[in-house]
Amino acid sequence: MASTTSALGAFPSPYSIDTPPGCEGWEEMYPYYALFHERRRETDEKRFWFWNSMHFPLPMPAFDAVCIDSPYQAVGSWQNRVFAVPPAMGIDYRCVNGYIYISGNPVTDPAKIAQRAEFFQKRAGYYYENWTELYAKWKTKMQVLIAELGALEVPDLPEYESDEVAFGEDRNTSFYEVLDAYGRTLRMCDLMWQHHFEFLLLGYGAYATFVEFCKGHLPDIPDQHIAQMVAGIDVLLFKPDAELRRLARAAIEMGVDAAFVEGRSPAQIDAELARSETGRRWLEELEKVKDPWFNMATGDGLYHYYRSWLDDPRIPYAALIGHIAALKAGEQIDRPTEEIRRERERLADEYGALLDGSARTTFTDLLALSRTVFPYVEEHKFFCDYWFLTSWWNKIREFGALLAQHGFLADGEDIFQLSRYEVFQALDELVLTWATGGEPLGPGHWPPIVARRKEVLAKLGQWTPPPALGVVPDAVTDPMTIMLWGVTTERVREWARQQDGGLTLNGAAASPGRVQGVARVVRSLEQISDVRNGEILVCGSTSPAWAPIFSKIAATITDVGGVMSHAAIVCREYGLPAVVGTGRATSTIKTGQLVRVDGTEGVVTVLRPGNGDAADDG
Amino acid sequence: MMAEGLRPTYARRLDELRRADDASFGAKSASLGELLAAAIPVPGGFALAAEAFHTFVSDAGLQGRLAAAQARLSAGDLDSVSAVSRAISEAMRFAPVPEGVREQIAACYAALAGIAGEAEPPVAVRSSALGEDSQEATFAGQQESYLWVRGLEHVCDAVRDCWVSLYSPPALAYRARLARAPEPAMGVTVQLMVDAEVSGVMFTCSPVSGDPSMVAINASWGLGLAVVGGEVTPDDYLISKVTGEVVREHVHHKHVQYLPDPRGRGTVAVDVAQERRDVPCLEAAALDALVDIARRIERHFGCHQDIEWAIARRSVLPESLFVVQSRPVTAVSRPKAGPSADAMALVMSTFGVRRGAD
Repeated sequence: MASTTSALGAFPSPYSIDTPPGCEGWEEMYPYYALFHERRRETDEKRFWFWNSMHFPLPMPAFDAVCIDSPYQAVGSWQNRVFAVPPAMGIDYRCVNGYIYISGNPVTDPAKIAQRAEFFQKRAGYYYENWTELYAKWKTKMQVLIAELGALEVPDLPEYESDEVAFGEDRNTSFYEVLDAYGRTLRMCDLMWQHHFEFLLLGYGAYATFVEFCKGHLPDIPDQHIAQMVAGIDVLLFKPDAELRRLARAAIEMGVDAAFVEGRSPAQIDAELARSETGRRWLEELEKVKDPWFNMATGDGLYHYYRSWLDDPRIPYAALIGHIAALKAGEQIDRPTEEIRRERERLADEYGALLDGSARTTFTDLLALSRTVFPYVEEHKFFCDYWFLTSWWNKIREFGALLAQHGFLADGEDIFQLSRYEVFQALDELVLTWATGGEPLGPGHWPPIVARRKEVLAKLGQWTPPPALGVVPDAVTDPMTIMLWGVTTERVREWARQQDGGLTLNGAAASPGRVQGVARVVRSLEQISDVRNGEILVCGSTSPAWAPIFSKIAATITDVGGVMSHAAIVCREYGLPAVVGTGRATSTIKTGQLVRVDGTEGVVTVLRPGNGDAADDG
Repeated sequence: MMAEGLRPTYARRLDELRRADDASFGAKSASLGELLAAAIPVPGGFALAAEAFHTFVSDAGLQGRLAAAQARLSAGDLDSVSAVSRAISEAMRFAPVPEGVREQIAACYAALAGIAGEAEPPVAVRSSALGEDSQEATFAGQQESYLWVRGLEHVCDAVRDCWVSLYSPPALAYRARLARAPEPAMGVTVQLMVDAEVSGVMFTCSPVSGDPSMVAINASWGLGLAVVGGEVTPDDYLISKVTGEVVREHVHHKHVQYLPDPRGRGTVAVDVAQERRDVPCLEAAALDALVDIARRIERHFGCHQDIEWAIARRSVLPESLFVVQSRPVTAVSRPKAGPSADAMALVMSTFGVRRGAD
């Protein structure tokens, strides 16, 4: 079955993976080119593929595949065609049982590498030199795009067009408007992803270089200290939670804090508040904060499941309840920004002083560059993954509502079970039959497809993808794979060793400290509310958008992620032990099991195996 | 010194010594003097100059025998090392410590008794090798330590034992291998003992990686013998100098400890109580105090140091912490940093732009 020739052994061949029972035909949800196809077998089998569980921890709904194609089109364009990173073209992806595996395309011809190096130095150099100015323009571009998306209207299909259409100058009929709006909506997502990756490689690359430099000269330096030296102080991503802390304080000052009782839903709390004059004033305060700070996502944004705080206020309300309780217990809940700033300068000075001569100069320069690029690294997620994408999924929902209104779908939400091409087809038929007055087939055609796919997705969600497929590489040399996913040679070897299973998981020591407690495996938003105080979060990758639940948990374990993942950054900020990049935490650990997390060494131990869910002690 | 006229100075208080005195008092005593000058807590004590040894040799009329033995070894007759060692040791052990030297030891010891508040305080008597090769001399077995020595007679005996150690078989063999062996000579350090609850060794950098931002600490129960002698696997800590946080910690099984012999002199090896064997022997406050001392010592000497320390019973931090020895670290790996380059060149290489490719 396995077809590889590597001395280091093999991961399963991508062509040897069985379809889980009942999921036959899953392939039809995805584009033909997304699959491990027989025509590419010769080459694909000899490559190293790893599950991108950082971005795609769940099986992809058909529509959400937009967020596979578009990012890889964008990242490849910048990496391969604009900056021409010398040894690495773009990243290929393949879909197996709904899960996404990726593999970089290397450049091997030395002449080509040299030619690309010229492009790269000139173009990347320009970006680094003009970073702050270019990034300011970028932020404006993103805000314009978000505003444009907000302004885009999904037209109705009225029985008769308005007078304006009949008598106006620049007039279009609704059939055209609907198709045009859908096309423009899709293009806006492409544009967002293009913007997203404009700075990403260079930003992460500068920071990665600083990390590498520190580890070379100060081999035992904790990752946390490197991050602390670079991290911004007034970071946009901390702003939403900062606003919640402010509102928590206001609730106490205004005397309406009694409404925030653990176990109450946001709607119940709102209703309680609306009963009093001061309660209503507090709600007005909340309203002012929502734009833009409630455009946080409840997950890492690449799935339509992850709504914004606006759509699903459970996370911010849970945080408000926590903050109010902490304040009443006399705890200090504000980020001590002055202290953080002082400590960051102190660390930089002291580490700098430990280095000699030219190394100190390089250290200072790399630190300055890292600090220059870091606002982008920290903030782009808010603009792109959270603010834009949550709004964008909602825009798609409007098309879903339109299709549902005309019987093409049982529910507007079902639109996500169709691919973007199928949605075009459905809309085409809808506007056609609306125009002609003829009988549509859609209402009979689409709902059974949707029902079947929901069933398949649920079953695929039970399947555990192996961390990697294909050949175990001698070494991971692709700078992007290392930089963005933390997939290093050591990590891959660990995966290879762990194929037989075992009760110890190794990963990167992302945030120091040791703790043991009850595991809580979280695969989706729906499961977040199950997390209990003091539990250890086990997930594909953590997301800064989950920030408020970090005040509840004792530690974090992830399948994928490096020192520079946002996950790692936020864990350090919250002082929680974290082991990231274990490759198989979510597939090995079960909710309820007692686990020990050693964030200092990067080791997770399952202390009490057995059937997790039965255990209820800690 | 001048006031004492022609009488040579054999002994001086440790706090009177400085780096430059290592030529006459040996590196150990000189560095303890430096530590005291830097206000590092070091147990009180005094040092004997090499001159005391020379006087001992000439008063006992041993010069001829020593020179002949040395010549015999220099000629390459290594088989006779143990025989020569035995003969010289015998002769030295029967020779008295010269009266002038003894008087100065007595005066200094009496002063220590005053500090300690007891007539015959326990002291550690250690050899203090001379010159630049002191480090290597240490490896050649010229470093004897006699712990928990009490009373003037025993102190004088221990001093003489240190001198005798210059002619131990390894010391003789070591000098025989040198092209130009130095004239054998040695200083001696006498210091009040610390009744250690915990003791150990620390480096002002990581001995494994060479990371200069770390302090590495090894610690075990009781007197330092167990750690220095490698009889137990000590608890092992790696601590950031910059923040004081413990970066790595390994608590090991510490089955044996050295304690003062209850009969009053010398030390005994005792089993560690079962429930204390696997317990960390240092708490956060002790680690903080050690790191603080390590940083001050490194700053004072301007280079990485290998430090022996002890934490006394019946006393509290920071007063209970003492440094009993500090010497430069020589055998440490340097961080394997890549070739130095300017910042932008390093960023470029992250993206696979090879150096010199432009």
